[in-house]
Amino acid sequence: MDSTTQRHGIAAYQLRFSGSGGEYFRVWIVNLLLSIVTLGLYTPWARRRTARYFYDHTMIAGSPLEFTAPLRKMVVSFILFALLYVAYKIAAETGQDTVVSIFIIAAALLAPYVWGSAMRFRLASTRWRGLQLQFAARWKDVYVASWPIFLMAAIWVGITYGLDVLSADSTQAARPPGGRPGPAWPRVDAPMWGLIAIGLVLSVLCIIRVEFNYKSLLVLRAGIGKQRGRWKPVYSDFVRIWGATIVVFLAGVALILALAAGAAYAVQSMFSTVRGPAMFVLIFFIAIAAILGLVLASAPARAYREARMFRLIWSNVGLSQIARFKCDLQHWAFVRLRIKNILLTLLTLGFYRPFARVSEYRMKADAVTLHVKGGLDQLVGELVRQQDALGDALADMAGLDIVG
Amino acid sequence: MVEASKPAATPLRAKWFNGRHSRARDVLIVLEPGPRGPALHLHVVDLAHAASRRFEYDEVEWPPQWSAGRAPERIAVALRDHGSVEIDQPQAWQQALAAAGARPGLAQRMQTRWPVLLGVLLVAVAGLLAFYRWGTPWAAAQLSRHVPLEWELSLSQQAMAQVDQAWLKPSQLPPERQQALRTQFTELLARLEPSLKRYPAYAPRYELHFRRGMGPNAFALPGGTLVMTDELVEAAAKQGLGDDALLGVLAHEIGHVEHRHGTRLIVEQGVLNVGLGLALGDVSSLVSMTSTVLTGLAYRRQHESESDCFALALMASAQRPTAPMADLLLGMSQAREGRPPAAQGEPAQQRSTLGDWLSTHPATPQRAEMLKAGAGASSCPR
Repeated sequence: MDSTTQRHGIAAYQLRFSGSGGEYFRVWIVNLLLSIVTLGLYTPWARRRTARYFYDHTMIAGSPLEFTAPLRKMVVSFILFALLYVAYKIAAETGQDTVVSIFIIAAALLAPYVWGSAMRFRLASTRWRGLQLQFAARWKDVYVASWPIFLMAAIWVGITYGLDVLSADSTQAARPPGGRPGPAWPRVDAPMWGLIAIGLVLSVLCIIRVEFNYKSLLVLRAGIGKQRGRWKPVYSDFVRIWGATIVVFLAGVALILALAAGAAYAVQSMFSTVRGPAMFVLIFFIAIAAILGLVLASAPARAYREARMFRLIWSNVGLSQIARFKCDLQHWAFVRLRIKNILLTLLTLGFYRPFARVSEYRMKADAVTLHVKGGLDQLVGELVRQQDALGDALADMAGLDIVG
Repeated sequence: MVEASKPAATPLRAKWFNGRHSRARDVLIVLEPGPRGPALHLHVVDLAHAASRRFEYDEVEWPPQWSAGRAPERIAVALRDHGSVEIDQPQAWQQALAAAGARPGLAQRMQTRWPVLLGVLLVAVAGLLAFYRWGTPWAAAQLSRHVPLEWELSLSQQAMAQVDQAWLKPSQLPPERQQALRTQFTELLARLEPSLKRYPAYAPRYELHFRRGMGPNAFALPGGTLVMTDELVEAAAKQGLGDDALLGVLAHEIGHVEHRHGTRLIVEQGVLNVGLGLALGDVSSLVSMTSTVLTGLAYRRQHESESDCFALALMASAQRPTAPMADLLLGMSQAREGRPPAAQGEPAQQRSTLGDWLSTHPATPQRAEMLKAGAGASSCPR
């Protein structure tokens, strides 16, 4: 049962996930089959079943989470979204460039709005002890929180302009006499590389800022009834995690390159006599191995970032003065789990995915502890009408998972 | 508020959260058969004035059962605006549900019973096969009717410009040789009877071009642009075959145009990408992509056979033999494999079983055999 310790009127409850990989495999395979039979129309039901499975088995202080999204809204928004998607596909396949660019620009402009309504839908669909969560940010707040994106665009406009100035200088100075004018690639010299590097660094800082803004907005404007979320992390915490992630990524790349060099040497000595079609097969396998290597090189870094971010956030958020969370997720253990999951998923052609998902979710959930001051019975909620679910369908396609 | 529980149903102890407070109230729950499914009767016991309320079947978010043997240790049942109920005895809850006449949906039966899951699996596999074997090609053939010729022509123009730039050089055949082939090509087109046309209203603008490069080859672009390489003409000459062999190849390419295979392939690939992506994308994009590519190749082979049959019919209508074309194909495939023309037969046939799945064309020996059999070939529809 829950590990409960009483101290100064503060009780600690460990979160617990009681689902099993085998059961979730059944959920997943049923969803898959019904989606095939219905040509994809089952998707909203499938999403609901998946969310319910994880919610039903996530115990917080002895009570499970409840997923209560109205099915009808999920279905209607799914159909709307499917129509939009088909319209876009048709426009793209038949080469109607204007329509396609309108779609893309509209999607980019609406992205913050979509994120906001996805979060609103997701939180309003979640209940715990009968109390509905809510996300109270107005769409204006979301757009204001998106300022780093616009800053990033401005930075790149500036850099393009700067590059133009620099390249005009260098082509005048360094055109070889009698050489062919108008080379296919513009010459890039040291100052230009410097400018591009500055642009990249600033862009990464902007991306981190967007992530920080969105996450803090999500927590600060989320809540139950009158009780609002509390948020303690600062921007530099995020920057530190990203910095460490880049180091992990480079280490992963170095490791993969070393392995690849070793493998290439071995292959070369073994197959030095290979000719003709066999050579093509060999090249094919080397290409596959290269793609795999790239995925594997970035996977530890991605898992590392995910785990550190999870721990940072779930150690530093709370609910007004009543509750706060603590998290002791071990990031290297999570990285090991992720690598094992990726390898098993590849080996089973994807059929290990449900087990992988459950094991990662369990490791995260079990690492979180809820500390409550003054007992669980003091929360006051209010019921808010469920709003648009289109954001949810869009967020699904954009890869934001309900459970995450 | 009237107490209406039936004596048969045993009440379950539960906790009720009213949606406004996180404080739990002790309640008793009774499940009763209702007109559309079980109804939930909630009876608050820790209040001085006993309050109770009946929730009809569609006022309750019935939690799904995830496993036949195991249940979550606590089940939450949402009651819309009236908060939620938490039940500590999941097994008793399941039994009460069954006793109250709950009928699990298909998804839940698949979830908890293996035979149902296997049954749907079989239906899904059969459905998928049928859809991709007949459904998609049929839909593509129908949709292609509505694709305008102008769109095909502009697409072909672009494609031709790209191919010219990347792979092909101008032909080095003498102009009179080109002219002779074009004249025969026009004669062949004149023999194209309306009964041979798959799309009677479709009037492609035929042009025959000669190019060098790419090895011995010929291809057709949607809208009627045909290209034959010098190397193919030379290969026929080297094997001592007459123009009938080349015209056979052209008839095959006319078949691609008349059946609108280019356009159909685009439509089919679109359907495949979306359909298989939706169905199998959740397993992994690798599985989904592999099935898309394999199915796409199957459609290509189908198109090739269709064009072969068309070539047979057109050549018969023009009273020309198809055996030279078969010889040309066989000779070319042996030249590719670097073997003397005599060594043919069993080895090629044995190899074709796996290769069949991975090639764009049907195995050459089978094709040649069919072409030699002439217009009476059994594999062609009458």
